[in-house]
Amino acid sequence: MYKFLLILFFVISVNTNLLSEDNFEKGLRIAKESYESTRGYIDSESDQLMILVDPKGNEVIREISGKTLENDDPNDGDKSIIFFNKPKDVEGTVMLSHTHVNDDDDQWLYLPALGRVKRISSSNKSGSFMGSEIAFEDFSGNDYRKYEWEFIGEEEYEGETCYKLVSIPKYKNSGYTKRIGFTDKLLRPRMIEYFDRKGELLKTLYFEDYQLYNDKIWNADTFRVVNHQNKNKTIYKWVNRELNVGINKKDFEKSSLLRLAD
Amino acid sequence: MNFEAIIEKYTVSILDHRIKTLIAILLLVLVATAGARFLEAPSGYRGFVESGQPNYQDILNLEEKYGMIDTLSFVIKPNNGDIFQKDVIQLIHELTEVSWQTPFSSRVSSLTNFQYTTVDGDDINISDFISDTDLMDENSLQELKSLALQERTIVNFILSESARVSFVNISLDVPEDTGFEDPIEFANEQKAYFNSKYPDVFVTVAGSAMYSNNFQTTARSDATSMYPGFLALIIILSYILLRSITASAISLIVIFLSILPSMGMAGWLGFEAQPPLIIAPILILTIALAHAIHILSIALTNMNEGMDKKKSIVESMKINFTPVFLTSFTTAVGVAGVNFGKIPAFSEMANTVVIGSTFSFILSVTILPIIFMLMPIKTDGKSSVVLNALSKLGDLIYKFKLYIITFIGLASLLLINLIPNLYFDDDFDSYFDRVDDWVEVKNIVNDEFGSSFFIFANLSSEETDGITSPEYLKKIDEFARWLETQDEVVTVTTVSDIIKTLNKNMNGGNNEFYSIPDNKPLNAQYLLMYEFSVPYGMDLKNQMTADKSESRLLIRLNMATSKESIEFNERTDEWIRNNLQGYQTDGVVGIPIMMPYVYQENTNGLMRGLLFSFSFIVIVIGITLRSLKLGLISIVPNVVPFILSYGILAIFTNIVTFSHTLSILVSLGLVVDATIHFLSKYKKAESLNLNASDAIQYCFKYVGFPIIVASICLFSGFAFLLQSSFQTNFILGGMCALIILIALIIDLFLLPALLLIFRRKNVV
Repeated sequence: MYKFLLILFFVISVNTNLLSEDNFEKGLRIAKESYESTRGYIDSESDQLMILVDPKGNEVIREISGKTLENDDPNDGDKSIIFFNKPKDVEGTVMLSHTHVNDDDDQWLYLPALGRVKRISSSNKSGSFMGSEIAFEDFSGNDYRKYEWEFIGEEEYEGETCYKLVSIPKYKNSGYTKRIGFTDKLLRPRMIEYFDRKGELLKTLYFEDYQLYNDKIWNADTFRVVNHQNKNKTIYKWVNRELNVGINKKDFEKSSLLRLAD
Repeated sequence: MNFEAIIEKYTVSILDHRIKTLIAILLLVLVATAGARFLEAPSGYRGFVESGQPNYQDILNLEEKYGMIDTLSFVIKPNNGDIFQKDVIQLIHELTEVSWQTPFSSRVSSLTNFQYTTVDGDDINISDFISDTDLMDENSLQELKSLALQERTIVNFILSESARVSFVNISLDVPEDTGFEDPIEFANEQKAYFNSKYPDVFVTVAGSAMYSNNFQTTARSDATSMYPGFLALIIILSYILLRSITASAISLIVIFLSILPSMGMAGWLGFEAQPPLIIAPILILTIALAHAIHILSIALTNMNEGMDKKKSIVESMKINFTPVFLTSFTTAVGVAGVNFGKIPAFSEMANTVVIGSTFSFILSVTILPIIFMLMPIKTDGKSSVVLNALSKLGDLIYKFKLYIITFIGLASLLLINLIPNLYFDDDFDSYFDRVDDWVEVKNIVNDEFGSSFFIFANLSSEETDGITSPEYLKKIDEFARWLETQDEVVTVTTVSDIIKTLNKNMNGGNNEFYSIPDNKPLNAQYLLMYEFSVPYGMDLKNQMTADKSESRLLIRLNMATSKESIEFNERTDEWIRNNLQGYQTDGVVGIPIMMPYVYQENTNGLMRGLLFSFSFIVIVIGITLRSLKLGLISIVPNVVPFILSYGILAIFTNIVTFSHTLSILVSLGLVVDATIHFLSKYKKAESLNLNASDAIQYCFKYVGFPIIVASICLFSGFAFLLQSSFQTNFILGGMCALIILIALIIDLFLLPALLLIFRRKNVV
């Protein structure tokens, strides 16, 4: 009888927990499902175009191409290689990153004019990517492991009912105190508002031009960022993106950097 | 019907329709006053510059590229020893972290978050200069000190050469039409917190935002500290002078009804509540009080002499209407000359006084006689002691007229000789030298860093990605090093310093490589690497444009007067012409460069304004008095006070600031008032065919007393400005008080003496 009651109590409490998932758990669950829906791409290759627009409408264009490699380790981040094509002076520069979830990334840079590979260690995740309004940390902003989540309701966004999620960075050097975003019912992030260290709205990232890759993974091929404080805009486009192309894993090692640069 | 008859008819008719007139006037006052809520908060130093001013345009162009130039800085100074003590570094670390919370802050730079590069073979580590404060010991502190003092972008920017004072600089990006109150309030809270947490360290707030905010705080503190006392003084003065509570009450009503709608109109016109505007109510008050006293004192004298109440006021209006109109008009014209200057804050003050002068005239000839009729007036039937004294004065002047003219003439000659010693200059950093807290900060910063001000210079390569070309980098470096040889400059930093440091670090930290590589792609790749390595808020956007075609130099200035700043700017422009062909630059840009030009243009403008106001006033006097002789004589009492006061000024100082120039324009109209009252009575006396001595006695009887009264009011009004914590108001008040005092003496002694002399020549 005593054992039975104990079991009964246990079952009830577990069930109640499942039934009454709180908003933090719900937020985390949605974020995790959203993240996982983008996994399984194995590797990818793409050309990228970045347009910086100042408040007067002057544009500056940067061209890069990149490769990424999915990391199976549930406690670590993906690896990526960026080749710089434009402006001309930086053509041939290559950057290799081994990202980490909540630690500083490892980065190596090959500078063709110097002819050497340099390892950079810095807490630069919060820094601007090539003078744009996008920070390094924004590229992996869909990684649920980087934030504390909270679901705060459902709201219409561009005619679709979306989950409204608040996320708080765990990375201590993050440039943000908070993000508020909309994730649609296909689990695709649609828009994220970023709040700076003083808690003020800094910028909004709009995820646009969603494409379904390999019949299973939705990727936004355009990131449009509007900075509300300095009134600059950045448009970041992925073109010729391919997933699961079979890149040699060895390419993502420091020792391959010199070879890749040629 | 002659003019006096028209005035008589007019006065009788408003007294007959007193209720209708009252309501109409009060409605007008009410509507105008309603605008007061639109008075704008002062925009700091920016309210002192016209939008089209070329140096200001340079600042706006620079801000468009690199963000706002204004900063707030925490100044940190340990009571003993230098910055490199564990608790002081701890404080800077905490303060840096919390500074990111400052409203509208866009970046924070300090000794702790300075991005410091170390090299180990091919490993480059870029990180905060000081991140772990717990592990510091005496050795590591001394090591940090010697490293910091080797960094040219640290020394004199965030750490003084003596290492005794350090800054935490917060760059602000405040939206248009928003003041600095929120960031400053935040900074002051932190200042209080850190001062109590670290009692052995002095923490305070400086920076251009603080400087700018001083305009607002001094305006507010001036208003609260000066107005109540001044009001009390005026109540007492008007009672002593009029010796009737009712008459004093009438004056006060007229005064208030003149001030309120004027400030209201200032609001309707979108003026800013800058410190100079604080003077406007005081000026309007004295103008209105002078009107009221002129009209009331004659009405009371008439009643004392047995006239009935209505006839007394009608007769007084007959005598006073023209002079009251004229004095309002000339005051307005005099002050309006300030519009020739180039500082909006002062033009707005002047225009408010013009409006106030108009209101005070309207009220003096409408509400004043009506209230006089409505209120019970008691008179004691005695003629005033002052009048008897004045009558004796008249006799004395008649006797000693030649001595008086000779004495004042000689004194003038003596003082004129001193005037050539005066020269124009200004020091915009001295604006708030009467604010103790500010002076304390200023002294620390000036002693340790030269000055608290930065200026900038933008250099465009005129091609995309041009700033990484070796030619450009060498030129900008040459420019920076040349600037550093100038006395006015403490230190300069540019993109060439970043490239040199990177080149050194990329070559194993070898000092031989502290130079600019002759390889454009390499420089571009260095910059790319650097940009990839710095965290949030530490990027190079405040130093170079996104297309990398332009970059800016950051220059810390030494203390310099206006003259020195202008010379420095011209010297720099010449150097640029000779050495920077092929590059586009506006030269050096910033508040300390702009303000001297604003003053110079302003002083030149005020000189033109003075010429305008003065000739206008002489013509108006000539026309109204319909006498060339009186018009010409009027020049003497209207010019001599200024010469004498500047001569007296020359005894004490050689420097004339634009505030001194301003004082001439502000007081001109007021000085003229007394002359107009005197001359118009003198003309009346001539038309009554009085002999010389009696004519002067007549003038003294009818205007001597009101002139003395009005001058006392004006003198005390201006003397009150000596309490102002705003340097310009202080100088303006002091100069105007001196001018008014001298003018009174001239009007009472020299003017009658002159009239007697010229009369004798003409008549006898």
